[in-house]
Amino acid sequence: MTGKLFFADPQWIIPSIIAPFVFTLVAFFLFNSQTASSTFLLYLVLGGGLMGMWGTTIYGSVNSIGFDRWNGTMESTLAAPIPLSWISMGRVLFNTFEGVINAFFILVIGFTWFQVGFVILNPLLFFIAAVSTFVSLSAFGLMMSTVVVLTRKGGFITNSMEIPVYIATGTMFPVILLPFAALPFAYILAPTWGIEAIRNAAISGYTGLGVGYWGDLMIMAGETVVYLALAFVLFRRVEAYAKRNGTIEEY
Amino acid sequence: MQAMEERVRPLQASRGEGDAVEVEDLTREYATRSFFGGVSRVTKALDGITFSAHAGELFGLIGPNGAGKTTTIKILTTLLTPTSGKAKVLGMDVTKDLYEIRRRIGIVYGGERGLYNRVSAVDNLKYFADLYGVEPSTARARIPKLLELVGLQDRAAEKVEKYSRGMKQRLHIAKALVHDPEVLFLDEPTIGLDPAGARDIRKMVVEMRDRGKTIMLTTHYMFEAEELCERIAVISKGKIVALDTPSALKNMVRDISVIELKTYGATDQYVESLKALPNVVRVVADLMSEEQVIRVQTPLGADLLTQVVSLLPEGAKIIDRTIKEPTLEDAYLRLVEE
Repeated sequence: MTGKLFFADPQWIIPSIIAPFVFTLVAFFLFNSQTASSTFLLYLVLGGGLMGMWGTTIYGSVNSIGFDRWNGTMESTLAAPIPLSWISMGRVLFNTFEGVINAFFILVIGFTWFQVGFVILNPLLFFIAAVSTFVSLSAFGLMMSTVVVLTRKGGFITNSMEIPVYIATGTMFPVILLPFAALPFAYILAPTWGIEAIRNAAISGYTGLGVGYWGDLMIMAGETVVYLALAFVLFRRVEAYAKRNGTIEEY
Repeated sequence: MQAMEERVRPLQASRGEGDAVEVEDLTREYATRSFFGGVSRVTKALDGITFSAHAGELFGLIGPNGAGKTTTIKILTTLLTPTSGKAKVLGMDVTKDLYEIRRRIGIVYGGERGLYNRVSAVDNLKYFADLYGVEPSTARARIPKLLELVGLQDRAAEKVEKYSRGMKQRLHIAKALVHDPEVLFLDEPTIGLDPAGARDIRKMVVEMRDRGKTIMLTTHYMFEAEELCERIAVISKGKIVALDTPSALKNMVRDISVIELKTYGATDQYVESLKALPNVVRVVADLMSEEQVIRVQTPLGADLLTQVVSLLPEGAKIIDRTIKEPTLEDAYLRLVEE
């Protein structure tokens, strides 16, 4: 049903499919025209995939509650006998899954159109990293969706994070190239470690941030737990705040 | 004039099934915050209201805009926290037993909001059945019956955005019943509907009451409250100013009768001159409609008629005139204007 509601609004196509697709294509055209190695192109295509997942997650997390605000169904949703965090989690999980499909298409384009060699170093570790990144992105999306419960301007705040996160997580270039001051922001984002783990599992000789595959995975798992804990605490607080201040029905 | 305490008649003896809704000294304040976050103004939306609705009763809450009706409903449906006081639904505290209360109540909002417009009626009902934890097999059996109840079975697969206002409102009712609640809160369910659509909704409300549901209804339409409700609480400026049966409320204005004029060409000045007459308690006029209606409340009854007619401006005509018993609306106006 969440899927039906999601696809009923055609806007999803822009952030979920078109935007990451365009970004990835631009990156390909830029780097493919030079003497880029096949390893670097694999690096890009994996980054493009994560961009697709992230774009859909952030759009979905905003929409999971924002959609109710715009529809005027916020009260109906809140009046249901289950915590809002559970409703939102179901929606965010769906949206992240939709992002996986999007990522898959970006990878297919990369591997076919640009003929990036489809050589995954360790498919099992790649799969584990991809699933962990999926869970981590969902947790991050869930945390962000609380902002939309708090205020109708929440959509603006979370949407504005889309591009900075593309940059900060190193989807298209190594995070280490970021200015020193931006690195802490990159490190607290689980997708940074997710893409690192995915690249570690896929690309031979990849060093990345230097903590290795399991290091990436552990850090991501730790951050995911923090995101989830924060999300549930924030949901409880934000819902109580909205009920106390009578701001639930504003849209 | 009776004191407010007398008008809010002590709660009638329970019918043995207990009270479905209990409200005691309930207060709700809204704080308006300044740009810098400080509280610049506090508005009291509810000011210590007390009432109860019996199980199986159709209880009305009427009052002007901003009187506190919707705030009361929101608190009772657990969507708003009270500032102080107690509110219980089916014996449970609205601030503590949120999820258990929500499982056992249904809410019908008036107007366009509250439905997913881009999917069908069936999808809406399936979704809310899911949210309310209705077993899929139960939902599959119940949804067609509900669609039939509200007369939408032939349009059930259409997107809700193609529905008329009346159809949406009927779907609201089906949505509120999808988990078979014991108590229904109807917040202005006929607002903005044409007369036929509003009549259909009223019929459904009666049907739900006959099925044993406790119903709490807010409305702006006095005839609707009079037709449907067993007891009515009149709320004004956050306080309950009267609580009784419709006939008892009408008795509060038995000292007056109403001269009802249907006119053509009457002006605002004419209405003002009527208001200035001695022994005129209140004048309610609708001059904008094609058929102008002016209601003059007076203890003199027909004896005032000569003066009323004599003041009529040149060119204006009285099409019809009747002396009527006061209605619930007359009682309501007196109560909320005091």
